[in-house]
Amino acid sequence: MLSVSEMLKMRDKLRKWREENYRNSEQIVDVGEELLNEHASKLGDDIWIIYEQVMIAALDCSRDDLAWSCLQELKRQFPDSHRVKRLAGMRLEALERYEDANKLYDSILQDDPTNTAARKRKISILRAQGKSSEAIRELNEYLEQFVGDQEAWHELSELYINEHDYAKAAFCLEELMMTNPHNHLYCEQYAEVKYTQGGLENLELARKYFAQALKLNNRNMRALFGLYMSASHIAASPKVSAKVKKDNMKYGAWAASQISRAYQMAGRGKKENKCSVKAVEEMLESMQITMS
Amino acid sequence: MLEDDSGVTKKRTLQLSSMSVSFRSHEMGEVELSCLAYAKMYLHASQFPRCSVNGLLLSSSPAGGDVCITDCVPLLHTHLSLAPITQLALTQVDAWCSQTHQRIMGYYQANACVSDSSPTPCALKIAEKIFEQCNNAVLLMIDGEKMFPGCRVPPIVMYERKDARWALKDKHTIMLRQWEETCAIVNQLFSSGDQALLVDFDSHLDDITKDWTNQKLNAKIMELISPANGNV
Repeated sequence: MLSVSEMLKMRDKLRKWREENYRNSEQIVDVGEELLNEHASKLGDDIWIIYEQVMIAALDCSRDDLAWSCLQELKRQFPDSHRVKRLAGMRLEALERYEDANKLYDSILQDDPTNTAARKRKISILRAQGKSSEAIRELNEYLEQFVGDQEAWHELSELYINEHDYAKAAFCLEELMMTNPHNHLYCEQYAEVKYTQGGLENLELARKYFAQALKLNNRNMRALFGLYMSASHIAASPKVSAKVKKDNMKYGAWAASQISRAYQMAGRGKKENKCSVKAVEEMLESMQITMS
Repeated sequence: MLEDDSGVTKKRTLQLSSMSVSFRSHEMGEVELSCLAYAKMYLHASQFPRCSVNGLLLSSSPAGGDVCITDCVPLLHTHLSLAPITQLALTQVDAWCSQTHQRIMGYYQANACVSDSSPTPCALKIAEKIFEQCNNAVLLMIDGEKMFPGCRVPPIVMYERKDARWALKDKHTIMLRQWEETCAIVNQLFSSGDQALLVDFDSHLDDITKDWTNQKLNAKIMELISPANGNV
């Protein structure tokens, strides 16, 4: 049995994971199961949201026994709730009973056509079944109605990246950057897509957005490497003017020194990452040779 | 692929593989997969069950001899089809390989959608690039549906270059010595919690103090290998 303070700590952990949308399902199941089994009476009104959180985590870990018991508690407390119905649908999805899940979601949508959660679950089913083009089509239709749904824009960008449709992925990321100008991850992902598209113009855009990502978060290593690689490729291109070449060599050299410094600091005193540090040093050296 | 009791299957493939060396055709060439490489690939796929993961297969044996996949480097679990990080990883692994007398000789991937273990365009592209440098390169797809405890066959499907395309490799030419011991070692890694030691290149970029060459995990695996078997 846990002491009261330990119990409160666990409850706070669950809240933190919930609020920051972590998907550490094994941990949630561990902590949540103990809390619900031993301390349900002390959780107050939090208990219902914890049941929901633990149920979803249980589905993620194939713990249908735990998911089922959480669902029963929620059904008992909220018998006509759409939110609980959606959870029942998710359980069917976990059991790969997609037709039954779809029927459930359709019944929610008949009652309430604006229920975004049910619509998104239907799209997730398409994804799980590998029906990417249908998922993309449905998600586009969804976004025409719910144009501010960030999660949906990001999901769509991922779908497009998987289908190698980089132009459309870039469009989705542009939407995300517009509404989240301080998010360094969107800048960096956009830059990666541009780099992948290739060609001088896209490389220059990539470099600019890698730089922007770094401005927003100077510890984003992907952005730093991305800046280094795009600047180096531009500088090595025979199609650029002498000035552009010089500027990009400067950016590349700056990025290289930052990378070196970061790895020196990371390698300090740690025997185990000497290999990765050496590999980076050699890579930087070899790329210097091709640039000049 | 398992060593035949009668030794007949093994002998035949050995003969063919020595023929293939002299005729410079790699059609029936044998490929050996070491316990170390297998274990790390399996751990990588298990660490990210909801993502597609990929990595590179390495060999420390000289080119032109018998093909043995002696190690692997787990690479990504996000955005496999985006270029910059893949290029970066290939360059760094290349640099590390020349320092450690290994060479990149293959590519592995496990798809997020377990029901489909066929190579994606991205897998073919990277395998192609490796083939340009190594003419007996292999492409290995992990079959998620066979990754459950007690499964009696290795959850892998291998492809090799034949007539300008990637063709399914005959199961009998894939050698996994001491398969049962390998399974036991993987199970041991899970029960001891050591499977969490695995670092892939993506995780390294999130925290560069993490070692993508997995020295610590390699040591643990080699410890588990050595008492039971001579050379795996």
